[in-house]
Amino acid sequence: MSKITYIGKLLRDKEISCTELTEKYIMSIEAENKKLNAYVNITAETAMRTAKDVDGKISRGEILLPLEGIPMTLKDNISTKDIETTCCSNILKGYVPIYDATVWNVLKNQNAVLLGKANMDEFAMGSSCETSCFGGALNPYSTSHVAGGSSGGAAAAVAGNIAVYGLGSDTGGSVRQPASFCGLVGLKPTYGTVSRYGLIAYASSLDQIGPITTSVEDAAIVYDAISIYDKNDATSQGSRKKTTDTLKNNIKGIKIGIAKEYFEGIRDDVKESIESAMKVYESLGAEVVSISLPQLKHALPVYYILACAEASSNLGRYDGIRYGYRTPSYNDINDMICKTRSEGFGKEVKRRIMLGTYVLSAGYYDAYYKKAQQLRGALVDSFKDAFKKCDVIISPTVPMTAFELNFTQKDPIETYMTDILTVPVNIAGLPAVSVPCGFDDKGLPIGMQIIGNSFDDAKILNAAYQYEQVVKNHIYKELQTGVRL
Amino acid sequence: MITRDDIIKIARLAKLSVEDDEIEALTHDMAEIIGFADTISSAVQDGFEDFDDINNITNAFHEDEVQESFDRELILKNRDGGEQGCFLVKKRSGRIK
Repeated sequence: MSKITYIGKLLRDKEISCTELTEKYIMSIEAENKKLNAYVNITAETAMRTAKDVDGKISRGEILLPLEGIPMTLKDNISTKDIETTCCSNILKGYVPIYDATVWNVLKNQNAVLLGKANMDEFAMGSSCETSCFGGALNPYSTSHVAGGSSGGAAAAVAGNIAVYGLGSDTGGSVRQPASFCGLVGLKPTYGTVSRYGLIAYASSLDQIGPITTSVEDAAIVYDAISIYDKNDATSQGSRKKTTDTLKNNIKGIKIGIAKEYFEGIRDDVKESIESAMKVYESLGAEVVSISLPQLKHALPVYYILACAEASSNLGRYDGIRYGYRTPSYNDINDMICKTRSEGFGKEVKRRIMLGTYVLSAGYYDAYYKKAQQLRGALVDSFKDAFKKCDVIISPTVPMTAFELNFTQKDPIETYMTDILTVPVNIAGLPAVSVPCGFDDKGLPIGMQIIGNSFDDAKILNAAYQYEQVVKNHIYKELQTGVRL
Repeated sequence: MITRDDIIKIARLAKLSVEDDEIEALTHDMAEIIGFADTISSAVQDGFEDFDDINNITNAFHEDEVQESFDRELILKNRDGGEQGCFLVKKRSGRIK
């Protein structure tokens, strides 16, 4: 039974009250967060208030919805009305949204118990959570390693058993990579299926909110709850079917595509874990086929050009006038804006704004932005051709396991290269899920990525679920931290 | 090749102040990143078309109806309540460059 289903049953069967459950989580957060730095804001009062409402419903014999009373966390770039939302940037410290993001509005209406806001790389720009102005979240498997990024806090909280599930955002792998580093399931849904309204924008054509959970079934439950059409998001489509309906279907006969381009420069132990997973799939009756994705080699520079271009525009709004940090001393309005931004943004954010400004500036637009968009189209076509030959594509999620602390501080390009396997999916708007598939010799988790065609979220979750059922005793390890029920 | 003057120009366009002691490191980092971005220059071939949508999504328009908006006082809360219903900045001479 998945964790969300199990806790829901405990509540319905009155084995534990929601108030007791929430108190347990809050007490554990107070102890564990000192080690993990997973939360940047603990919302104990909000959580307890919701828990009491849930207990009221239980005592009146009312039916609970699937996520009702389940303690969870939100990445700190998801707007929460009356609760500080900082994107882990000094420029937004003290900012209190006046409206809820649609995903939080949906979950709040289901009485989801918000334990707090989760740590992240500043404005979701990073792969280790270390660009956070609060310091990075640490990996519950080894606190000398990062939890990953940018949704590192949500992953650390879920793996450390101080949240049942979390919502992160994935612009170039920011849900899947921390899920992979922390031995969890991370789903990046098809672009457009989950509303981005209230998600503080990094790169609008790439951003997508997704769940981080301890099982595939939980990912499906959360995804089904949040993938609704939203008129406040002009790119909103909603999902086309409930993923939980087909989660447990037999996968005999499905075709799994393996592209050699996804295995170049991958660490040997990671490659071996994926090869073992392929044997599991074959034992389940799946057929493994070779495919080619020739445009994959350009995905990383294309991603950085497009993401930074969009970021330079999206982050133009932080001028110190209406909200957030404002420099205390300035000569004129231009000086105020420049000083506010320079003092408020961290180094990596400024670097990406500068790159984005450069590729959009007169004389360079055609050479960089326009070409990157053309290559984006070519990559989309490349995936379309691949999906004529297979149902899903499998690759590692990250070429390695969790980085040691400060790895990303050395060289920006070396760090960007670690995103090489996750960014193609965002460029093409496809769904992908990261599922644990083993451990390295240090005991750090390895992740496998299952990619689907557009709107095939149900298909990738079905494939992930069937694999998980065979190997769950070998790919999951419940850490002896936090709340264990 | 990106130069010190390029960095100053980009920073001005991006509304960022760059201190003298930051320019050298930024020039080095930006040169490296732009060199990496340059790897796409030979990748675009004839017949590649402009791309402007994902998953064939077109804007999901809704009716342009007057709806309840946010209260002005609520909006100003994030700037200490503002003054006379407006955002307040210190009076300074100069114009936006």
